[in-house]
Amino acid sequence: MNAFDQGVFSTSADVGGALLQSIKLPCSAMVRDIFLLRAFEAGADGVVVIGCPQGKCQRIDGNIRAGKRVAWVQKLLSEIGLDGRRLVFAGSDTVDLAIANLLKDMMLLGLSPVKKETGISK
Amino acid sequence: MIVAKQKPIAELKEMVRPYQKLLVLGCGTCVKTCFAGGEDEVATLASALRLAFGQEGKSIKTEELTVERQCEDAFIQEAAQAVNRNEAVLSLACGAGVQAIARRFGKAVILPGVNTTFIGVLEKPGLFTEECAGCGDCELDTFGGICPVTRCSKRLMNGPCGGSKNGKCEVSPDIECAWQLIIDRLTALGQLDNLKRYIPAKDWRSSLSGGPRRLIREDHVI
Repeated sequence: MNAFDQGVFSTSADVGGALLQSIKLPCSAMVRDIFLLRAFEAGADGVVVIGCPQGKCQRIDGNIRAGKRVAWVQKLLSEIGLDGRRLVFAGSDTVDLAIANLLKDMMLLGLSPVKKETGISK
Repeated sequence: MIVAKQKPIAELKEMVRPYQKLLVLGCGTCVKTCFAGGEDEVATLASALRLAFGQEGKSIKTEELTVERQCEDAFIQEAAQAVNRNEAVLSLACGAGVQAIARRFGKAVILPGVNTTFIGVLEKPGLFTEECAGCGDCELDTFGGICPVTRCSKRLMNGPCGGSKNGKCEVSPDIECAWQLIIDRLTALGQLDNLKRYIPAKDWRSSLSGGPRRLIREDHVI
């Protein structure tokens, strides 16, 4: 499939004292802005989007698209006041380091100031 | 298509602050294509507003709906019930759509969620460029399909000006000289003699400068 083939992540795990929950997608480029924002609405303090290593996207430029989308949402998060550092993009070859750095940033930023989901109707 | 850009979150947040129940209404045509107001953008913006207010401990109820085109009454009608059950509507349509909604639902608070910018095209992925200013008197046949009204910084009908240098406009090196493009195109078409025609000063009365415009098709009036 993609970088998740290695089975590095379980559905949820305790990492450095933080609860890590993962969602698999066929390609990191399938991640949409709304997925990332909804993760924060659901109470996530930080989000990592993991794609194929740089230059090794199995679908040519999926990880590039995902990286750009993450950058866009990082900017949006900062405009909202949530701090874009809560969201990172990493290749599967650097994910351990990315998560470690994210956790360090979380120590500085603190828990997300957003309460859980408030009224949505469609 | 009409190209628009979503307003900054900070501005939108203050605009909707007085309201507890908000309908975020998208449009599935022009603004969807330029990533300003389609279904995806509606969802993202609604979420962003909930997050923004959530930090203050304020709960805002958002409803999300996208209609095919907000500039046509047949589609606008679909939003009637949603409009009625919310305190305000944040419309992500272009200015025409926002006003059509306001006209249709006279007692509803309709707020503009995007800044409508220009009539343009998708030049390449992610890049939208202005092509038409709606001057009301198209002369693209003379200019080989390149519009001096939109593409020339000075709106010259008898360019190029003395500032054209290496195919670039003196206003900015990022702007191609429209008149260089026109000359190149007409040359390629073998129609350079078009520029020998007398081209009078532009009559702007048919444009926005002439006041609000209307178009009536008698054969469609019932």
